[in-house]
Order: sequence, then C-alpha cells, then structure tokens
Amino acid sequence: MQNPHVIFGVLIAMGAVWTLGWAIIMARSGRSIPVEQLERSENRIRVGLLGGLAAIAIVVFVLSLPRLPFAGSRRAELGPPQVTITATAVQWGWIISRDRLTAGIPIEFDVTSRDVNHDFAIYDPDGRLLTQVQAMPGYINRLVYRFSAPGTYTVRCLEYCGVGHHMMTARLTVARQE
Amino acid sequence: MTSPHRRAPLADAAGLTPLLAPDRSNSSVLRVALVYLVVGLGSFLLMGLLGLLMRLDQGGILVIAPVWFYRVMTLHGAGMVASILLAVTGGLAAAVSATTRLSARVLWIALVIYFIGTSFVILATLVGGFGGGWTVLYPLPTHGLVWTLDAALAMYAGYLFIALGLLLYCVHMLHALARAHGGFVRLFALRFLFSLGRDTRDPLPRPPELIAGVISIDGIAAATAGMLYLVPIFLHAAGVMSVDALYAKNTVLLFGHTMANLSIYVGAGLVYAALPAFTGRPWRTTWAVVCAWDLIIILMLTNYSHHLYADFAQPVGLQLLAEIASYAVALPSFIVTIIGALTLIYRSGIRWTAAPMLLALGIWGWVFGGLGAVLDATIPVNQVLHNTMWVPAHFHTYYLLGAVAFAWGYLFYMVHELSDRRAARASSIAVWLYGIGGAGFILMFFVAGANSVPRRYAVHLTQWQMYARVAVPFVVVLAFGLAWLSWDLARRFLSAWRGTEGPALQS
Repeated sequence: MQNPHVIFGVLIAMGAVWTLGWAIIMARSGRSIPVEQLERSENRIRVGLLGGLAAIAIVVFVLSLPRLPFAGSRRAELGPPQVTITATAVQWGWIISRDRLTAGIPIEFDVTSRDVNHDFAIYDPDGRLLTQVQAMPGYINRLVYRFSAPGTYTVRCLEYCGVGHHMMTARLTVARQE
Repeated sequence: MTSPHRRAPLADAAGLTPLLAPDRSNSSVLRVALVYLVVGLGSFLLMGLLGLLMRLDQGGILVIAPVWFYRVMTLHGAGMVASILLAVTGGLAAAVSATTRLSARVLWIALVIYFIGTSFVILATLVGGFGGGWTVLYPLPTHGLVWTLDAALAMYAGYLFIALGLLLYCVHMLHALARAHGGFVRLFALRFLFSLGRDTRDPLPRPPELIAGVISIDGIAAATAGMLYLVPIFLHAAGVMSVDALYAKNTVLLFGHTMANLSIYVGAGLVYAALPAFTGRPWRTTWAVVCAWDLIIILMLTNYSHHLYADFAQPVGLQLLAEIASYAVALPSFIVTIIGALTLIYRSGIRWTAAPMLLALGIWGWVFGGLGAVLDATIPVNQVLHNTMWVPAHFHTYYLLGAVAFAWGYLFYMVHELSDRRAARASSIAVWLYGIGGAGFILMFFVAGANSVPRRYAVHLTQWQMYARVAVPFVVVLAFGLAWLSWDLARRFLSAWRGTEGPALQS
C-alpha cells in the first residue's frame, strides 16, 4: 500500500478501466434512440455504482486506519521509540541532533522549524521516499520510524521554503543492529 | 458571414433554452462572458508557456537561475488558478443569463477588481522578485530572504483583490438567482430534495442555475476564508499580532483549494449547459442532480485538509474527516454528473465537432485526475506521495484535461451559437492533439511522482530529468493543438460578438 510503484499500477489499472468504459460510450454515440429507453438502466447503474464505490471507499478507509503515520499509530505498530532525535529546519539546512542511527529499532524524530514551513522527508539509498512530516514554526511534530536496512539515507525538504529549497538536504547513516 | 438575427441552431433544434434570450435582454452579459472566457483562456496560454519553461529547466534543457524559476513558478500557479476561474465563471454567467437577469455592469466591475488583483501579482513576481509560491504559505512570503516585504504585501494585495472580485461575482450571482427563483429554498430545490422528489409544487431550477447557486455559496465561503487568512497576515506585517502557522495553513488551503476546486465544478456546470445542445437531449433536474449538487455545497468545503496529512499537529479526527470527505466528494460528481453526461451521449446520434469533443475530453480528464486525487487522499498512501510530482500530476489533469477543456468546449459552443458558424472540421484534429499532448504531459508527472521526485524543485537530479524531457515533446503537441483551436475561434469571434447585439440589459 505504501510502494509508490504499486500505487502507480493501481492508478493505471483503474484509469484503463475508466478509459475503456468512456471509449465504449463514445464509440456507441451514434444511432440515436430515445433517452427514455435509457433512464431505467441509468438509474440501475447509478445505484449499483453508488453501492459498489461506497463499499470500496469504506474498505479502503478501514484498511488505512492501522497504517496511519501519526505518532500514536506508529508507536502502537512499532513499539515505544528507543531513541529520540531532534531535527530543526532552517532556511536552507537541517540541524539534526544525531545522524548515525541503528536499523531495526523505533526512532522518534522531533521535528520543528526556526523560520518557515519545511518538510522532513526521508529517502532510502535507492531514492525512494519512505516517510515524511512537516516542520512547522511553533510546533514539534513527532515522526516515529524504524529503518529496516542499513545504508545512507537522504533527508530532503518537501515543503517549498524559498530559493534554496532544492538544496536543503541532510544525510542519515543507518548501521546494522549489533 | 452570418446574420446576428439568425436563431441559435443547436439549442433550438434540441428544444432547449437558447443562449441568447428571445428578447435579447442578455446580450450585454453574453459580451462580458465572452471577454471573461477569452481573457481567461488567453492568460491560460501565456501561463502555459511559463509552465513549458519550467519543464525545460527541470529537464536540464534550458536552465534558468533558481531565483527566476521560483518567480516563474509563483506566477504560473497564481496565474493559472485566476485565469481558469475567470474563464469558467464567464461561461457560467452566459449559461444562466438567458433565464436569470444578471447585471453586466457588476460583472465588468468584478472583472476590473480581478484585473487589479492580477496586476499586483504580476508586479510582485516579475518586478518585486516575489517567489513564495502561489500558495503563499505563511510565514514564507514575509521571510523569503531574497525578496522584500513590499513584494510580499503586493502579492497578498493581489490575492485580496482577486478574492474581492470573486466575492462580488458570487454575491451578485446568488442574489440574482434567488430573486429569479423566489428564494433559496426554491433555488436549491429543498422541498423537492427533502420530500425525495415527491413535492413538485416549486418550479425546479435548470441544472446550470442550481450549480451557479452552489458554487456561489462556496465561492463566498472561499473568499471569506481568504479574508480570514489575509487580514491577520496584514496585521502581522504591521506588527500588531503574530499568526499561528497551523491556523494559517488551514485558512489558506480552505481559500486556495476551494478556489481551485471551484474551477472544475463551474466547468462541470458548463457541461450541463452545453452538452444537451449537441446530443439533442435535455439534462433534466432530477432528484439525483439536486441531491448531488446540494451536497457539494458542504463537501467542497471539507476536503481541503487532505493537504495537511503531513501536519501531525492537526488533530487526528480532522485528518480522518478529511479522508472521508475526499472520498465522499468524488461520489456525487461521478455518480450524477459523469454518468449523466455519458447517458446523454450514449446512442444520442451526436455529431462529433470540436465543442462536444472538448467536453468529452474534459469528462475523461476529470475522472482520471480524480482517481489520482482519491489515491493521494488516502492517508498512508499520501505519506509517500505528498509533495512529490504526484500532486501537480493530479491537479494538472483536473485543470488541463478537465476544467480547461470544459471552458474551451463552452467557448466553441458559444461562438457556434452566436455566430452560427461551425468550427472547421479539421479542428477535431486539434482536439486530438490537445488530448494526446495533454495526456502525455500529465502522465510524466504521475511517473515522476511514483518515483518520489519532489515537486517545486528548480534543480532536478540527473536521474529525475528524463521525466521532464519526455514531457516536453508532449507539451509541444499540446501547444500546437491549442494554437490551432485558438485560430479557429479567432476567425469566427467577431461574428459571434456581433451575434450578441441587442438592447442592453438594464442593470
């Protein structure tokens, strides 16, 4: 559910079904028939779609609940954090209290900002976005995360924060658990 | 050339309300509506060129300094939202003007206020060097380090005027509709709604009138949110008070997200107004239509906060509510408007000229963009897509292949009706180019988002550049298609303008 390539695949699959349905209607737009003949089937389709789509939405919503990224949910999923690290954003860099971390243990990042809104986003060594939280002035947002593998991870700012936004990166070195 | 006295062929043939009222009392409103549409779509083309410049930069093809990239990005975003909203609101004024007495003078005043606002935005970005993004997320505008406080205040002043222009349009529209229908209960068909369609004593509004009422209420709400955002920031700039960052995020997103959403919903109103003329089937005000659109009043104002999922300071209850609202708002739009439009087209014997093709393209794009949006509105999914290229992917799909296609389609319809000169047959090819170019362009945003490429980066890593490089040829195809459509409209426009001639409306 949190693999962007899988999400893209879901989009393409749903988009293909929609495009096929749309194309069929467009292709069958000729040979006029009275609209009254369609009204009963239109209503049946509407009711069916409403029921079907609402059911899908409810299922997806319920499935999303145990996977919420907020601190309480992550603590419940991963256990209490064993390390707490502060990450403070300033235009245009990160002040991180510790950048050598250990894989396999829950870590809490207390994220804030000294100036404007930023976003503390962790990318894996292959360049894939893993998790993120906003860094806001006046607030401490707590991000709980467990690195599954050792490596060099990159922190990027994902909230536009001015002309140095694209340069605002930091490194986290994650070592194997002893 | 055509006579201005010729009857509107499409609407008359279908037995529908004509664009030009029989007593021609709406002629002056149709003129101002044409101005809204042409200025809006013309500005859209210019802003599109800025977009091409940004993709060239991100592809490493034509590199510009980051300070200029962010200024261009800010102007592109603000300009697009303002342009598209202007175009579709003009179309909607035309759509309701045959049956509702609107004041052309008020619409002109709203346009002037809007112009003042956009002038401030242009000055702030191109002269003042403001590059704080179109979302003007507090406190960045007053803390940009490379632009002055004056530039930020000019930007905010621009937004203030744009919000006031929208407010005037919406208040006038709502007042005119309520007066025409004898109050809000009748305008929103509330007795019909709550009796489940059994109480038919009140005459029902036509769908474009109902939709105009709905978007006017949400437009007033959006403008109010804009004031709730802007006034404290002006006071902050004056040293009177400080502003809470989370409050600022909520109000600016309620303002900006609703402004952007309004465009697509007003665009949908144009489909209700124009598509029946091509299919020869009326779009009736059924209970489903009333229920869906009355629900939109509330739902459009509740889903903005899916942009705050990464703000963990936002109460979790509100985060969950945002997810539910984001799903909920998609249902009435799809079940009623999309299925209704497809039913109208199915076996209708429609003749596929440029206008209905553009409307059909908009229907496709609206849904495809909606799929991307609904996925991103799912909180765990949003964790890995938020503020990646997936975000511009979905709203570019909504806009470019949704609201903008509706606006172009409606303008083609208006020009056809008022000039009685059909679009050139070859313009259908231009719509194909628009669709293919647009689809390729937005697909590369989605691919980049799925590969975690951040949005709003002036400089892209080498491995990210290929997404923009692949997108550029599609943008060129898109631009060619749009230029072709513009040329077709231009050669018939004067004839359409003359087709509006008649006694001016007493305002």
